[in-house]
Amino acid sequence: MDIDDILAEALHVSAPQETLDLQELTRAWVAERVAPELLPYPDALMERVLGRIRRQIETVEEQTGNMDPKTNFKLIVIQTELERFKFLVRSFLRARVAKNSAEYLSLSESKYLTAHQNLLASHYQSSFLSQFPNSLQKLDDTQGGISMIDAPDPDTAVFCRALRDVGEINVVGTGRAFVMKRGDVRVVRWSAIKEKVLAGDIELV
Amino acid sequence: MALPLPAGLTPPEIAFLCEMELVTVIPRQRLEGLDLLGGRTPPLIPPQRANLPLWLALLLKRQRRANILPPPWLHPSALLTILELEHAGQSAPPRLPPAPPGSLPISPPFLPSSTAAAPRDALPYHWLELGEILLEAASDDFEDPDGVRRLMRDLREVRMASMRKGVGMFDAQGGFNMTGFGGMEVGEGRAFIGGVIDGLRKIGAARERSGDGDQDDQDNGFPSTADDYDDDEMDM
Repeated sequence: MDIDDILAEALHVSAPQETLDLQELTRAWVAERVAPELLPYPDALMERVLGRIRRQIETVEEQTGNMDPKTNFKLIVIQTELERFKFLVRSFLRARVAKNSAEYLSLSESKYLTAHQNLLASHYQSSFLSQFPNSLQKLDDTQGGISMIDAPDPDTAVFCRALRDVGEINVVGTGRAFVMKRGDVRVVRWSAIKEKVLAGDIELV
Repeated sequence: MALPLPAGLTPPEIAFLCEMELVTVIPRQRLEGLDLLGGRTPPLIPPQRANLPLWLALLLKRQRRANILPPPWLHPSALLTILELEHAGQSAPPRLPPAPPGSLPISPPFLPSSTAAAPRDALPYHWLELGEILLEAASDDFEDPDGVRRLMRDLREVRMASMRKGVGMFDAQGGFNMTGFGGMEVGEGRAFIGGVIDGLRKIGAARERSGDGDQDDQDNGFPSTADDYDDDEMDM
């Protein structure tokens, strides 16, 4: 029996849903931080995680003020972990909102962005744009060979790891192909592996 | 509102990931299992070993409630063997156990690659961060912290050199194989490697597009932004 078998066996002991959710959220956070495009919003996962965070905050509030040093230390551990989760969720949402894209936004993200853009547009309008000639007042001008609209470049190089043996990957438009086995880490253009990332066969690192 | 961070994970973010790695502790005090957001922790009963995420192990260590058992690959003899393999260009890349069928495949930082039961002949993905964090926070749990520090530095240099050697093999089309490099190493190389590959691609883009590029963009469902700009210019 070699070490791989031992490791595999240890992992077959099924992890509780909480642990699986942490793994999934962590993976989603890294992916959102490094992918050039906005990725699908993990509705069910976020609902579970946010619900648990809410309940954990209630637990902390109920137990704060308990002077027993033993309970006190437990609370420190719980709060330390709570802060780590809050960081993970916030950084994940901030990375999404920073991409400012319409596709895949959750309802609250889309409301937030619409409100933010409206505020920004009316502020620009009242503070200086209204003084400009009409033809220069647009914020979404694509004329003149330079677009004012930022769009993600789907061919941006990303770093990724194969989670399964995914076989041959064709880099579209180049005639190039390479094979990725589980555990392989590679720099490659996002467009070549996007589908495999969405399917959960490759993760971004 | 823009995220004021560069593309890719920052070093503190990579360290944050590394703090989720499981390590083995020897508790000095009892602590019952806690229902944390990431699952229930094992009860701590001295002197029984227990595996905990690094952030929790560090918290216990700081309060002198536990000692941390450095992983086997962080012992001087193991590091020396790995260093020799690196010099010979035959180091074993970090291993991922086979994916259990059907379930979400597990990967760093959630593999038990830094517990007392981890293999001793290969560096795990977060080797550099984990080693440095443990040497900083728990150097008294090492038999020879200075020796470990020295070997870590040597390893880092050999591996950096081999990454630099790989620069000649950059390729805008097929990408670049980084198997074997760790989290912090990927983080350090990201801006340069990603930048060079993107730059090479943009230089080669005209040629790519004049070939079968347009066809493939449609096949793939990704209209490229470069094409959009071209359309705008034609409108003028």
